[in-house]
Amino acid sequence: MSTVETAPNLIAKDESAPYSEKIGVFWYTDSNLSVRDVARAMNAVGARFVTLTTYELPANAGFRLEYHWDLMGHLLGFTFPSTSNAIDSIYDLCEAADWIEREVHEEYRIDFTGREYEPLLLREGGVCGVNLQKEVVQ
Amino acid sequence: MSYEIPMGPYHPGLEEPYKLNMICEGETITDAKLHIGFNFRGIEHLAETRNYIQVIALMERVCGICSFIHTLTLCQAMEKLTGLTPPPRAQYIRVVMGELERLHSHVLWAGIAAKLMGFKTMFMTCFEIREKVMDVLQAISGNRVNYAMNRIGGVNRNIEDPQSILAMVEALEKEMTRTIIPIFTTSKTATSRCAGIGVLTTEKARSLGVVGPVARASGIGQDIRKEAPYAAYAEMDFTVPVVPDGDVRARLLVRALEIMESCKILRQALAKLPPGEIAPPGDGSKFSFISGTATARVEAPRGEVMYSVSWKEGARMPSRVHVRTPTYVNMPAVRFMVQGARLADAPLIQAAVDPCYSCTDR
Repeated sequence: MSTVETAPNLIAKDESAPYSEKIGVFWYTDSNLSVRDVARAMNAVGARFVTLTTYELPANAGFRLEYHWDLMGHLLGFTFPSTSNAIDSIYDLCEAADWIEREVHEEYRIDFTGREYEPLLLREGGVCGVNLQKEVVQ
Repeated sequence: MSYEIPMGPYHPGLEEPYKLNMICEGETITDAKLHIGFNFRGIEHLAETRNYIQVIALMERVCGICSFIHTLTLCQAMEKLTGLTPPPRAQYIRVVMGELERLHSHVLWAGIAAKLMGFKTMFMTCFEIREKVMDVLQAISGNRVNYAMNRIGGVNRNIEDPQSILAMVEALEKEMTRTIIPIFTTSKTATSRCAGIGVLTTEKARSLGVVGPVARASGIGQDIRKEAPYAAYAEMDFTVPVVPDGDVRARLLVRALEIMESCKILRQALAKLPPGEIAPPGDGSKFSFISGTATARVEAPRGEVMYSVSWKEGARMPSRVHVRTPTYVNMPAVRFMVQGARLADAPLIQAAVDPCYSCTDR
């Protein structure tokens, strides 16, 4: 069992689970896992994928992607940097991530590797990356 | 031979603009593809150009029916960043408005579903009742839609005379118990048109992460009001209706039962409305935010809404506002609901999700 799967222990008030609560979200603090490892572990504990939020970092430093999962009413958060405008797709592990991966791809030009895309918001002639921002909180 | 039938983006069988490309073998749909974004407004991007007062008015426009829910979710996230806790009376008023909005949404949906079933008299009855729900909302807020009720740390308008609102709610409940509820739960016309079509199994519903009445009609008893209570929901006694069948009839039943539960919550909230202030002292025009990201989740009529709001200390405008609406996660399920269905059932199946493209094309 990976440490991410200790999420139910967290809910049972086990303080050894590697999660840190901040403004209502339990953030996973072990940065060694990949986004796919997290998706597998969340599937194993029966968590529900909620959404993915993308932040563009200042000075062209890439993006920060925050994945949220719900486990028994608790919101779990996982942060992943994307400096190369690419991150593994979790669509094959989690169908619920389909639309949001496609939307983030079209809005921020981030490539979710390992999947095929169909246009979601863009029409013919539309350009990816139209909603890019300039500054966000880190 | 298979052929493709496009429905939408503008079609009499659709409530709102999206496109469903259906692959058919004869009259049977074998697969479908969905396209959205026809009215995409870029509201998340616009929010970064609005200050903390203006952004509330902007997010109220994400959805015409759930306008209160969107500002409630946004304000709850902003309250986490400002350290403000709304007074108890404001929390109860938020429950009252949230449940009235649920009634409004469910009754409106019932009317549209009735129309698609070919049950036009029921459509007229539902819309007549919907007007009365809007009268109650107007009596509280002064507006029939876009109520401008929420502010950071509380609400803008008080319920001065809860007894008169309670009387209006009780009259409404009586009327719904006499009309909508028996027709949607026992009428053969309604049930035979809806039973066994548009099935979404519990397993598929879990895999797709659907929320709200769509999840509860597929046997998943998930409701943010119970699982992560906000406002004054922890003090309310209510049950979460769950039906395991996963078909259109189950969605009809869940919403009919939820109407009754909403009336139950409204009666409790209005009867126990605590005295006191409805907002923190001051004119509500100056707030100090800490740096960071806050999330908030609320159970809207269509399911869970989540906001992630990011702020820099000292800034007047948010750095990022991300909105995850319930239709956004429920709509992909339509592809699986229509597989194997008759072409003529497609409008009713997609409507049973209660899609909101104002929300989806935020």
